Amino acid sequence: MTVDTASPAHRSGSIKRFFERFPFLPALIILIVLLVLNGIYQPRSVSMIGITSLVKTYLALMLLAVAQTYVVYAGDIDLSVGAILSLVNVVVITLMQQWGGGALPIFGAMAAGLAVGLACGVVNGIVVAAFRLQAIVATFATSIFFTGLALYVMPVAGTPAPTAFWRTYGGSLFQVPFVFYVVAVLAALLFALTRTRLVTHLLSVGDDAPAAFQTGLPVTAIRIKGYALCGLFSALAAFCVTGDTASGDPLVGGKMTLFSVAAAVLGGSALSGGFGTVVGSVVGALIIGLINSLVYFIGTPSEWQNLVQGLAILLALMIGVLVGRMARR
Amino acid sequence: MANLKTLIVSTVSAFALTTIAAQAQDFTIGLSNGWVGSEWRTQMIEEAQAAAQAWKDQGVEIEVLVQSANVDVPGQIAHVRNFINEGVDAIIINPNSPTAFDPVFAQAKEAGILVISTDAEVSSPDAMYVGIDQKGWAEASAKWLAETLEGKGDVVAINGVAGHPANEMRVAGYREVFEGYPDIEIVNEVNANWDQAQGQQAMQNILATYPDIDGVWVQDGMAAGAWRSIMDAEKVDSIAATGEIRKDFIDLWIENDFNSGASVNPPGVMASALNVAVYLLQGRELKEPAEAGQYGNALYLDIPFIGGDNVEEVATEIEGNPGYYSYTDSLSIDEAGALFK
Repeated sequence: MTVDTASPAHRSGSIKRFFERFPFLPALIILIVLLVLNGIYQPRSVSMIGITSLVKTYLALMLLAVAQTYVVYAGDIDLSVGAILSLVNVVVITLMQQWGGGALPIFGAMAAGLAVGLACGVVNGIVVAAFRLQAIVATFATSIFFTGLALYVMPVAGTPAPTAFWRTYGGSLFQVPFVFYVVAVLAALLFALTRTRLVTHLLSVGDDAPAAFQTGLPVTAIRIKGYALCGLFSALAAFCVTGDTASGDPLVGGKMTLFSVAAAVLGGSALSGGFGTVVGSVVGALIIGLINSLVYFIGTPSEWQNLVQGLAILLALMIGVLVGRMARR
Repeated sequence: MANLKTLIVSTVSAFALTTIAAQAQDFTIGLSNGWVGSEWRTQMIEEAQAAAQAWKDQGVEIEVLVQSANVDVPGQIAHVRNFINEGVDAIIINPNSPTAFDPVFAQAKEAGILVISTDAEVSSPDAMYVGIDQKGWAEASAKWLAETLEGKGDVVAINGVAGHPANEMRVAGYREVFEGYPDIEIVNEVNANWDQAQGQQAMQNILATYPDIDGVWVQDGMAAGAWRSIMDAEKVDSIAATGEIRKDFIDLWIENDFNSGASVNPPGVMASALNVAVYLLQGRELKEPAEAGQYGNALYLDIPFIGGDNVEEVATEIEGNPGYYSYTDSLSIDEAGALFK
């Protein structure tokens, strides 16, 4: 990690250390401010139902931002996450349609979806890390390829998901909305992954690839694994989109790609690699969602909504960077 | 501290104002638009807002809430959820996906909200579609092209975004028409993503490959691009091609005497949908239930057509508007009323 722990910490040392341990704190503060503002302008948006809707809607983006973060760790980028999401979405829907809507076929289709996501990730990894093509261009190219595959699997949006599938995603278990269980499992999964050697390796590669190579780390293999992990999480994001939209759409994820990058950066990850947290990216995704709602709730005229939304995201980025820098000084 | 106080006071008074305003209103209608890449969409929203204003004379107060931004499908689902949170009476949406809104529309219906989609059909049984039949739209201009070519010749098609539902319906429409003319051959079909520059590029490539084509079937803004290439190649006199409905193009059409015809997908569809929505909110019943289309929930509107015989009239009608203004048409309050019992 780039965090320099050796510098003297006489003044405000504890705050500094606090921000080092939790680099997503600025993002978390922005999130809370946004929640309060949303609550002021539309009280119902922060009710239990409102928060559930928010999580239900943006869970896919949270997962996609997490996916993006693992490649960003290593200083790479993946502009094909949205296309992978679309491809997994249409594959899962098509398989569920063919195999019927029972529990076993649903889990079978999801397993196949994970395999597709993994395969796409490995392809990206090989193209970027083994063939040494520039990540930004190579994954842009694979995104077109994956979209092409998605269009081959399902030429036009349609085909409903089995009712059991989306009723589960949108429903409740023991009075608690299903999506909150997903969030809990996700939190545990992310926590477990943070402890793995792969994540540490990805961060060291992103921090200083030649140095990592010289210390004997298999840099190419690590980067490929990063993309594989990214593919897997994109597939998980696809399950959420499938649950929320109950249908297949070969173009559904296209616009989500850059939002996933924005969410990762909002959450405090450095695109140059070596620094960041997945928790931050999850918070970043929620920030984007809350900004979108707030822009509307404060009554922005329709012709200004895009502009205000863009400005608000920029502002959030600037606040995050400034607060982080001040705290680390 | 003083700042906080001002904030609280102003927020509270803002609330008070909205509450007072809310009592004087009859209906709140939310409009959601998920793509802002063209003037057509802006005009669509403006016409819908104007339509809501017009109800004032009928003694009906309508508050229109608009969410319009470039969003992905989940982002537009969030639009709908925001409207549900606000407790609107009706939602009119130009949807980014035909199928993805089924669950959220079901939620809206549970909350007692009327949902109408326009411009693109949706599969949800909890929503209704008010707009033109995209397939019929394509059939009308394809028929014009086939008849203009007297039933024989080589034709190319320049299409929009592959996989986009409206595009697929349009493609199905023209293919079906051309199949009825055995001497018309579709020699090539390309995608130019509804982009004027890509349309121009595609047409250049086509003219290089097939210098002797007779007709071009091309949609929307791409038509202006395609016609530019036809002009550059000095083939205006030998090629018949479909056109589009923006003022810029209509002017170019008249100036150069194009052999063109254009089906109109008017931006007024959302205004028509709004007028239908108000009657439904008033508890009126349609004379013929909306059961058309592949999803059995559509109310199709008439599709105007611009051809050589009426292009001058159209030009006079839209005189004085900016170049990006689209020729439009919508159900007036009375015309919409005529659809109801």
